[in-house]
Amino acid sequence: MIESLIYMNGYGVFVWSSFAITALTCLIVYFKTLKTLRKYEKEFAKEIEELSTKKRKTLLESSKIASQVVSSYNKTI
Amino acid sequence: MIKFFNNSNIFFWIEKFTNFINSIFFVLLIVAISFALIFSPPDYLQGDSVRIMYVHVPAAWIGLASFTLIAFLSILNFIFKIKNLFLISKSIAPIGLMFTCLAIVTGALWGQPTWGTFWAWDARITSMLILGIFYLLFIFVNKYVLDQHRANKISSLIAILGAVNIPIIKYSVEWWNTLHQPASIKIAGASTIHSSMIVPLLLMFFVLILYCALIFLMKYKTEIIRIKKKNLKRL
Repeated sequence: MIESLIYMNGYGVFVWSSFAITALTCLIVYFKTLKTLRKYEKEFAKEIEELSTKKRKTLLESSKIASQVVSSYNKTI
Repeated sequence: MIKFFNNSNIFFWIEKFTNFINSIFFVLLIVAISFALIFSPPDYLQGDSVRIMYVHVPAAWIGLASFTLIAFLSILNFIFKIKNLFLISKSIAPIGLMFTCLAIVTGALWGQPTWGTFWAWDARITSMLILGIFYLLFIFVNKYVLDQHRANKISSLIAILGAVNIPIIKYSVEWWNTLHQPASIKIAGASTIHSSMIVPLLLMFFVLILYCALIFLMKYKTEIIRIKKKNLKRL
């Protein structure tokens, strides 16, 4: 059963290569995209924290996105 | 309605959708792969090599659909000048390129056991390669043209020009004498594929669409943060 699944009547190398290449590409793209997103979130949160207290408060009150990014960044650290 | 489409609301829904996709993705992936590699029958002519179809066909469909969507959004962008449409196109393009490349590579791996060659300058394969080149042009313009407004215009033009290639890809197997087989699944008309093969094919397509949605949401979120980050410097 397992042997026939791997060998696939001689087509195993083509079938498994196709699935492996697809899976590997999907994984690489997923982690690269996630890494870029985390990098931008981190930079954005840091820049907000570097603002003066007044500016930061105004920004966090007016922008939902800024407050979400800061709170999710604070959770990760 | 307009309020719903502002970036703050979109950002909130991106979080929700991402969590939802993450919660169902792996279960569906295991089911789809089990059907594709174990439960679906081998083809009476091609044997087990037909299983490559379960990654090749959805990859090609996604590659084509993504570019069609980009072209459509580019036309809308030219008319209505909505910035979000451009951001959506920009986020879709890398996914479309990835799946176009996967369709070409898995097609080559399918071609060797069935046609006896990895590559042929066949109308379908060549037009898919041209689609990949259009994707690359679209992405490079957005990356290397620094003036955002100019990049937007040039890349939209590339997408609209590239859209001419879409019907060529679709009908290449009918217009020319090609190695590539004609379409087995037809939206209008009877499909020439057995249900035992359609089910795993649609399952794999659905799983890959979920994956695309996940990558798209992450990329779109990155673009929104990038814009907010730029605006922060103006404070």
